[in-house]
Amino acid sequence: MSGLSVGMFLFLVSVGMSLIFGVTRIVNLAHGSLYMVGAYLMVTLVEVLPDRSWSFWLALLLAPLGVAALGGLIEMGLLRRIYGRDPLMQLILTFGLILVIGTLVLLAWGPDNKSVSRPEALAGSVQVFGQPFPSYYLLVLGLAPAVAVGLWLIFYRTRWGMLIRAATVDREMLGTLGVNVAALYTQVFVFGSWLAGLGGALAAPTVAVALGMDGDVLTTAFVVVVIGGLGSFAGSFISALLVGLLQSFGILIFPAVSIVLLFAIMAIVLIVRPWGLLGRPEE
Amino acid sequence: MRPSRWLGLLAVVLALAPFALPPFFLQLLTEIAIVGLFATAFNLLMGFGGMVSFGHAAYFALGAYAPALLVKRAGLPMLLALPAAPLVAAAGALFFGFFIVRLSHTYFAMLSLAFAQIVFTVIFKWKALTGGDDGLLDVWPPALLKSPAAYYYFTLAIVALSLAALHAIVASPFGYALRSVRENPRRARFIGINVRRHQLVAFVISGAFSGVAGGLFAFYNGSVFPDFAYFTKSFEPLVVALLGGVQSFFGPLTGAFGFKILEWLVSRQWPVYWPLFLGIIVVLVIVVLPQGFVGLAGGRRLWSRLTSKA
Repeated sequence: MSGLSVGMFLFLVSVGMSLIFGVTRIVNLAHGSLYMVGAYLMVTLVEVLPDRSWSFWLALLLAPLGVAALGGLIEMGLLRRIYGRDPLMQLILTFGLILVIGTLVLLAWGPDNKSVSRPEALAGSVQVFGQPFPSYYLLVLGLAPAVAVGLWLIFYRTRWGMLIRAATVDREMLGTLGVNVAALYTQVFVFGSWLAGLGGALAAPTVAVALGMDGDVLTTAFVVVVIGGLGSFAGSFISALLVGLLQSFGILIFPAVSIVLLFAIMAIVLIVRPWGLLGRPEE
Repeated sequence: MRPSRWLGLLAVVLALAPFALPPFFLQLLTEIAIVGLFATAFNLLMGFGGMVSFGHAAYFALGAYAPALLVKRAGLPMLLALPAAPLVAAAGALFFGFFIVRLSHTYFAMLSLAFAQIVFTVIFKWKALTGGDDGLLDVWPPALLKSPAAYYYFTLAIVALSLAALHAIVASPFGYALRSVRENPRRARFIGINVRRHQLVAFVISGAFSGVAGGLFAFYNGSVFPDFAYFTKSFEPLVVALLGGVQSFFGPLTGAFGFKILEWLVSRQWPVYWPLFLGIIVVLVIVVLPQGFVGLAGGRRLWSRLTSKA
């Protein structure tokens, strides 16, 4: 069960990363940093807002929006200038952003670990199959599939989603057809950042909010995205569940090597199907 | 002046440095030599092989931890333990590289980063062996090499030998085959070059010399920490090579000089701000220079004319 909830956090983060890659062809290495900012914003918002029953939920709403705004700034200020350049330059740029964001977070929030208390309504635990299970995780278990369904509806039932799917297939053609691709890039990057922020904000009450979390999340999300297939939305969902379960059971069965096991699976996927389980091969 | 004379002059200046400079600057020069070797080894992949690794910290860390563990856990003297640095780093590079060279460009970079994070996690979590977060302390060289000047000479000698070996590799038929793989893998395959094997061999060589740099740094620092494998460390040779120029063999060395001096100047004043500063430099260079690093090609060409024979 907790494996499922870990999978849900991973899904939120990695689907954003996958989406951004699918449309803009940028592997956003700063995605873990955006997740971290989401968690830290949650810390601050919960502290600052008055201590009411609704303040946690308001924070959960505002923190991802803050991250989305940050994503918008990054896209419009920096990334927009380097589309079409050597992909490695784009990677290096987002790598540079990890350093910048990491240091700014250190300066803003200090080096100590923070924590967010769970909202009162979800502070206890419930019995699931006779085992105590923190009820906060039920929220995660409910919310992430809701996001997944929402994404599916957006992608397959709206015009905007159709444009995104078209952009992942052939961006030039889409531009030729008169679609403002630059604006679409920005929207997608902001949306992907929002998803990362939501993942971070949701995860904040379950983990120690600490400076290293950007790297941890980036690595795991990367594994998820690679296994599922870069740019594939359903692939991210399945592989996030897989990786989440694997991590939880791996920690129970062989605590020391669970992460190694994870990367071993990724290596196998990369050898057999380099484009991921549900991705498309590169031309 | 001919390049060989430049090198001769440089050798004389570096050899005389301990008589003119206070210990602090000798330590700075030692660090520059180590980072220079690290970046040059990295650049064998990036500049000559066209492969950008985002995880070279892994091989640096393997090279630092292997001799440190032998000294701490097996009680070996430093000089016997140090050869383990390139061996273990090369073994790691062979194992990871086997998978990594199967991918290209972005995927290559990302997978190398992911493997480096595994190395970091293993070092971080395996407390019984590696000391985890606390690292391994008191990893000092023997009394003979302990003074800054002695360790400076020792580092200089090893780095010079390593650079000579790397330069010979770059100038060898293998080095030229590697360039052809960088320029056009498909055509390289047409003329009978085994592309993946060349890439893997280059990866292992690069990893081994990154390991030498790591080993030298372990005994210079007197301790090793999991940070050595962290992804910010992988960024270091990349930035150094880009600053110095990736097209020439000696570019990363000059980059190391500029990088370490800059780091010293900035972190002397504001230690916390150094990563921020570094990140901003990188972002600005990429975004503001209209042609990216090609915009720096003039300066780079000047350097390669000054320094490179190849």
